[in-house]
Amino acid sequence: MKYLILLISIITFPSIAQQIIPLKDLSAFDAPSKNWTIEGRLKGSPSDSLFQVSMGEGILLNTLRGGKYHREDDLKFKLKHGDIHLKLEFMLPKGANSGIYLQGRYELQLFDSWNKKQIKFSDCGGIYERWDEKRGKGNEGYEGYAPRVNASKAPGLWQKLEIEFQAPRFDASGKKIKNAIFKKVILNGVIIHENIMVSGMTRGALFEKEEAYGPITIQGDHGQVAFKNIWYETYDLPSISPGKVSYKVFEGKFPDLKEGEAKVVFAGTSDKITQKSIELRSDFLAKFEEDFEVPELDDYDFKTNWTGSGYLSIDGQILNTGAHWYTENVFQKIKLDKGKHHLVLVYAKDFPWGPKSLGVSVKRVGSRWVDLHERTSLPDPEAVGMIELKAESEPVFQRSFFFHKGIKKTHVIHVGDPSGIHYSYNLKQGALLQVWKGKFLNVTQMWENRGEPQTSEALGAPIVLDGKFPIVVDHQNQEDSLQADQLVYKGYKIENGRPIFIYDWKSANLQIEDRIEPNEKGTGLTRKLKIVGAGPNKANLQLVAANATLIDDVQTNLNAINGNEYFVKWKKGKSEVLKLANHQFQMRLPLEGEEFNYEIIW
Amino acid sequence: MKKGLIILLSFVVFGAIAQKKNVPQEADFYEIKTIPIPKEIYLEVGGIATMPDGRLAISTRRGEIWILENPYQQESHQVSFHRFASGMHEILGLAYDNGVFYCSQRGELTKVTDLNRDGIADSYEPVYQFELSGNYHEYTYGPVIDKNGDMWVSLNLAWIGFGEGKFSKWRGWFVKITKDGKLEPFAGGLRSPAGYSFNVDGDLFYGENQGDWVGSGRVTHLAKGDFAGNPGGLKWAKEPNSPFKLTLEEIPDNGNPMFEAAQKVKNLKLPAVWFPHAIMGISTSDILQDTTGGKFSPFPGQYFVSDQGQSKVMRMGLEKINGVYQGFCINYREGFQSGILRERFGLDGSMFVGMTSRGWGSTGKDDFGLQRLIWNGKMPFEIKEIHSKSDGFEISFTKPVDENSLKKLSSYALRSYIYKYQHQYGSPIIDVKDLKIKSIKLSDDFLTVRLVLEGVRKFYIHELKFPGIMSQAGENLLHETAYFTLNEIASEINKEGQGKLVVMESEKAIEPQVSAQVKTVPKSSKSLSGLVSETEAMGLLKKHTCNACHAKDKRIIGPSFEEISKRKYSDKQILNLVYKPNPSNWPDYATEMAPMSHVPAGDVLKIAKWINSLGNRKELENRD
Repeated sequence: MKYLILLISIITFPSIAQQIIPLKDLSAFDAPSKNWTIEGRLKGSPSDSLFQVSMGEGILLNTLRGGKYHREDDLKFKLKHGDIHLKLEFMLPKGANSGIYLQGRYELQLFDSWNKKQIKFSDCGGIYERWDEKRGKGNEGYEGYAPRVNASKAPGLWQKLEIEFQAPRFDASGKKIKNAIFKKVILNGVIIHENIMVSGMTRGALFEKEEAYGPITIQGDHGQVAFKNIWYETYDLPSISPGKVSYKVFEGKFPDLKEGEAKVVFAGTSDKITQKSIELRSDFLAKFEEDFEVPELDDYDFKTNWTGSGYLSIDGQILNTGAHWYTENVFQKIKLDKGKHHLVLVYAKDFPWGPKSLGVSVKRVGSRWVDLHERTSLPDPEAVGMIELKAESEPVFQRSFFFHKGIKKTHVIHVGDPSGIHYSYNLKQGALLQVWKGKFLNVTQMWENRGEPQTSEALGAPIVLDGKFPIVVDHQNQEDSLQADQLVYKGYKIENGRPIFIYDWKSANLQIEDRIEPNEKGTGLTRKLKIVGAGPNKANLQLVAANATLIDDVQTNLNAINGNEYFVKWKKGKSEVLKLANHQFQMRLPLEGEEFNYEIIW
Repeated sequence: MKKGLIILLSFVVFGAIAQKKNVPQEADFYEIKTIPIPKEIYLEVGGIATMPDGRLAISTRRGEIWILENPYQQESHQVSFHRFASGMHEILGLAYDNGVFYCSQRGELTKVTDLNRDGIADSYEPVYQFELSGNYHEYTYGPVIDKNGDMWVSLNLAWIGFGEGKFSKWRGWFVKITKDGKLEPFAGGLRSPAGYSFNVDGDLFYGENQGDWVGSGRVTHLAKGDFAGNPGGLKWAKEPNSPFKLTLEEIPDNGNPMFEAAQKVKNLKLPAVWFPHAIMGISTSDILQDTTGGKFSPFPGQYFVSDQGQSKVMRMGLEKINGVYQGFCINYREGFQSGILRERFGLDGSMFVGMTSRGWGSTGKDDFGLQRLIWNGKMPFEIKEIHSKSDGFEISFTKPVDENSLKKLSSYALRSYIYKYQHQYGSPIIDVKDLKIKSIKLSDDFLTVRLVLEGVRKFYIHELKFPGIMSQAGENLLHETAYFTLNEIASEINKEGQGKLVVMESEKAIEPQVSAQVKTVPKSSKSLSGLVSETEAMGLLKKHTCNACHAKDKRIIGPSFEEISKRKYSDKQILNLVYKPNPSNWPDYATEMAPMSHVPAGDVLKIAKWINSLGNRKELENRD
């Protein structure tokens, strides 16, 4: 609590440097209008323009109660921010229109842009245009930035947004010396903007002029929009001040990281730590020492990078250690008092391959990372251009290795469609691994150079699925994986350019034909599993359409999966939801004639 | 020595040296034709299948099968490319059989069919699914289809700092798969078996790449139950259907030659022919016997072995002594556009050469390519065959030999050596010994020379260099050095050793030239003061095959000489590094340099001097 008081004394308005805003009530907001309420759960669907709302806490909801376009319905946060990192989830009903104004001035548009092919600044994730009446009729709008791709999900699903924003800078006289920058905007896992500088306030800003601070403001005058898990970090706190560095370099191999009686071969001082002080290619131990100044009591996170081995100690307490490659980030937190502290960084490398590299950076919550090393002490990343596999005029399929939930699968095929709806499939299990929309596949890790990982990645935000063979005999458990002699993969046939996967399901004495293709409306995928043969259990088969933490019935024959992450839609019959161990639910569907048929919509 | 050098220099095919007129070049006989590849196709060749209808099929790393029309470029130079299949995972082998393609993906032997005959594959069926750990080095090559219709596939070891096959089944093995998907393990001990084929007698040969347990590139004949030397996959020898039982513990790892280990390990199969590293390639890839009946080359029945790193095709001649294959290798044609992975004969007896370089690096600078190797019918002056005799070798030539050239001491440089058998990557040459000529006979038709030698050693590689032998028409040999691997000593008395005894010019005991070479560092390098001319340096670089991996100003497989000059090593340091390379000095280069301790120190020091002058030259050049 002491910590909080300190903070308040530094900046002129009450604020916490980093938190998830507790949506128990509306106390975080500045005079919210009646449109804004706190709710417990929402149910939405792709076709409804209103949510079904349940009472409770955790969700911030806007509902139009008066007329449209009343600026007082915009929701101002009490938090007035400069630079900020903001993460939140939002849900839109069909046809929704809202937006998030950084500092009440720079709008990132929220809009139901689901499945739109041509997108503009006014679509979801767009940086809204600027507006100036003086430019003349028809010419008032200017600038404005469409997102790189349409990363929108369906109305009724929770969508994830992350914004890194840099506030404009002003000199002592109040004159702007640097424009505001959207450093990074990520929508549903897809980067949609990077380092876009806005020349001034966008249309509909709350204020007359730009300033160093302002409140986050959410547009609330068009109709329903909901938010949850609003997290932010601001960067107004002072951080440590580096001091002068002194170093000594010893030649030889030092497996225990002790220089012992070794002679110093180089010594000196520098402004910052840099491996360039070590004028040896390998077989050295370098010891850097530095006194730095801590502005106030807090936890400080030390990140180190090195190729070789070493340790970092602060005031004699050893923090980061070990043998690493420089691309590995090693973190260690320590609580430090205000005042001077002593840092020792020991770095040894006793093999000649790999770049000599050394970095140490510090962060406290509420301020940015401070590098204690020279920029050139760490190597630049390799300049490798992406090899993209496109599915522009016809369906495209490509096998590769693929990481599914952290496990490398070796017999995977990815199928891309010109409609922009794609999936990955494990040939060994007859199982969907992921589905996504947008661009198809990044195959750089497979086709560049030797392609050591041999993997490929979705070029869109994937919905990760369970990766299990979906058909079970009634009332039996679904197995995590089937052996190759139980489920025999028979290859795929190409029909209309798309593969149909064929399996011999030995244990049930049935053959399976698995067809997956974009659904009619282009809103997701349809999967049809045709059962061929006359195995004894044929009449008792069920399809596991989803394994999830939550399964909600939102409409007739439409379930929302994982708390509105995606929808499963089916044609006929009743779905059954089983409660499994570990708070998991499983959704099962009955056989329709000779076929299972369901859609995944997102 | 000086004279020898001059002869060598006149031999150079490429390089900065002004070439004398009418000196025969490889290209004068063995022509390379390039197939133009449309710019949007990234044809990293993994497999080639000749089709009986005059088309050609190519499989690629990117998982496609392309069908080429007019690949023989008969009336028009243009070749049309049609994509038949796509989406597979790194196809490193392709076969065409009765209208159906069979190909290896990383994890599968696949049958690819065009059921509706619209020219595009519409069925991808697994014949066999291979296990994979996910390691990139688990390459799968093949199939080669034998006379019975069975399919042969070779399975590369994973690479985790060393070749390791225990992660997934039958890695490091040759397997036979029937068309209905039954797998039979055939032979083990493979490391990187990128190319293999059957000869006309139905015997299987495969090319192996230098690496751990593999001192140098080589071609090995594999019979059922053979263990080819790399123990990475021995875990699977415990399986009930393994054709042999052997454990890692039974393999000696003492750095002695492989033939010594073979006396203890009964399944250990010695190579039929060693391809000395860096000289005869750095990454042996495909192998093909010339079955074209004289259309492809002047050497029917011999074998053509390609190299990925050095972008060349070499020639191998085999004989069978006591039931064991052995023979020689010699250069044939270099200068291909990228790293060669595949060779297949076309219908006209030309050879399609399929290439890919990727992160492996190759002398040919293109990322990939497809070329054809054609003999134009002109007869070069070449060593035709070499056969071992109980007391030496019998060497036949394509043209009558000038007897006088046989009389010169400097026409011969003969020695033998071997490699270590060890878990470390590669090996220096060890146990080098000169061979002494006891007598020379020339056949009455001047085509065959019989060498009786002192010091012939069973199991060793015999380097047979003939820098001075000329044809009666005054031509130098197109390739003067052959490497004979002597696994067995012929027991029969030589019946063909008749002919005329060649009396050497000097009455002195015949001393091989090698022993005259200075192998130690001169105490004073004063004699080397002054600049070494670029012409001289280029000659030496060519002679000692340095330029297969290094160029003056650009990266090939190793760093450029300019890059090396920036390191400011002393000449002597360079000498030490040439003899005992330290690959960790160049961590950005994928292929480690082989020890080149066979290169005379005097030559290395000249090269070093030239390298170290490059920086200075630049400065001089940059001055106005």
